[in-house]
Amino acid sequence: MSSPQSFLNSPAVKLDHVTQRFRVIQERPDTLRELFSKFLRHEVSYHDFDAVSDLSLQVPHGQMLGLIGRNGSGKSTLLKIIAGVYRPTSGRVQVRGTLAPLIELGAGFHQELTGRENIMLNGLLMGCSREQMNAREQRIIDFAEIDEFIDTPIKQYSSGMQTRLAFAVATEVDPDILILDEILAVGDAAFQQKCFARIENFRRAGKTILFVSHNMNQITEYCDRVIMLDRGKIVIDGSAAEVVETYKHLTVPELATAG
Amino acid sequence: MFNLLPLKHRATSGGEGLAAAHIALEFSGLTELIRNTYHYRELIWALALKELKVRYKRSVLGFLWALLNPALMMGVLTIVFSTILRFGLPHYAIFLLSVLLPWTFFSQSLSYSVESIVGNGDLIKKVSVPKLVFPIAAVVSNSINLFLSLIPMLLLVLLMRHPLYATWLYLPVPMAALIIFTLGVSFFFAAANVYYRDISHILQVVLSAWFYFTPIIYALDFIPANRQWIFKLNPIIYVINGFRLAIYYGQLPRWSSVAASFVCAFVALGIGLAVFRKYQDDFVFYV
Repeated sequence: MSSPQSFLNSPAVKLDHVTQRFRVIQERPDTLRELFSKFLRHEVSYHDFDAVSDLSLQVPHGQMLGLIGRNGSGKSTLLKIIAGVYRPTSGRVQVRGTLAPLIELGAGFHQELTGRENIMLNGLLMGCSREQMNAREQRIIDFAEIDEFIDTPIKQYSSGMQTRLAFAVATEVDPDILILDEILAVGDAAFQQKCFARIENFRRAGKTILFVSHNMNQITEYCDRVIMLDRGKIVIDGSAAEVVETYKHLTVPELATAG
Repeated sequence: MFNLLPLKHRATSGGEGLAAAHIALEFSGLTELIRNTYHYRELIWALALKELKVRYKRSVLGFLWALLNPALMMGVLTIVFSTILRFGLPHYAIFLLSVLLPWTFFSQSLSYSVESIVGNGDLIKKVSVPKLVFPIAAVVSNSINLFLSLIPMLLLVLLMRHPLYATWLYLPVPMAALIIFTLGVSFFFAAANVYYRDISHILQVVLSAWFYFTPIIYALDFIPANRQWIFKLNPIIYVINGFRLAIYYGQLPRWSSVAASFVCAFVALGIGLAVFRKYQDDFVFYV
């Protein structure tokens, strides 16, 4: 980054002809014995498919981008490529700014450890320092509203409490780019509201948000732009109202031929 | 069941001006790998402590077991070898334990790290984090055990009225070589086990054969002179040699032996890192 201006002018996320190809093997040999027996019988059958197929996308800084599409359309694969969990088969990925490389809330939680220990561990997993996490700890506890349970092993937490804690950690580490993959389906209405209030703050602070949801109301309400994926390709890219409207009118067979 | 495999990678990722170097989007270069992993040093330490914490959780004595375990093992061996099986060597228990401790560290570290990538598979599928942190954390947590086990070792030396040599102060040197060597071998097995889970079972056999092939319960001098060269092909003998010399004999190893131990250690580290780096981006598809 040479100056803040050039930082903002270039997109936060830029994908150039990105393809993620998987080879589907029925019963991949997990042990050497299986490998030998398959090899001897020439029984390795497979086919390739592209979970993300020659996809190009630019997300400017400060945009809240919604991703919609059926199960298996490539949304999660796309997010994993952006987060750096997958290295794509081909194409170029550029990410400018820090991102919480966490594809699922609470992924780094360890059930035997206390809430406090998990805050630290999760923060370290996202690349923060111990010092930074110490400074953020109280704010995380306050936001998650788990003050009295913070020194209890989280296996005793309800799933709602765990989600609250996870959301609090992921957003308190203050990334430039936030990835939210269907995380707001859990938690009660009051906490969901709190989460969206925080997401609003993120938007106002000019952060980039990638948001996956099957809840079209949330998508229309919050997203500046929505892309719809099908078979690893972007089939529609436009304003939230526009894309959601089209999505609602597409029946399943039409979707299947849209790509 | 369907399983997903990636095709061969052709991608170039990352790019100029990448603000967050720690996102681990860097896929090339050993220096990047090391820098990236170094950025996560606090995570490595936290994972290592977590490992110990979880291991001793729910036990009444808790962390004391890290001390008691080697102490009790030493107690048993001392009784066996000073009353039942008596060898011609004075203080055989110390002779044995001075290399059994580093060996235990080595084999335990391997048993932990061989599963470290597969065992953290759920995490690797969801968080972009340098994968090297997992085997390193396994080795670090066992290093803590190794350091702690030196305390009962010291007590045993005092109890048996074995001379307490000044050469104890030399121990950090063989310890450094041992840890570097162990890291290298750990990286190799951690990576290999991702592809074929048989590796972790094979490792146990390899370790027990390796144990008897290494002068731990015996000394290299017991081997006929014309056969000793075979044993000298075993890289770990140079690495653990310094322990026995310093603790039992009160001697320092020859320069050539020290040099050999570090050459073996760095060659192992080099091979382990190279293999790990080559395959690490594909781990996520196999775990």
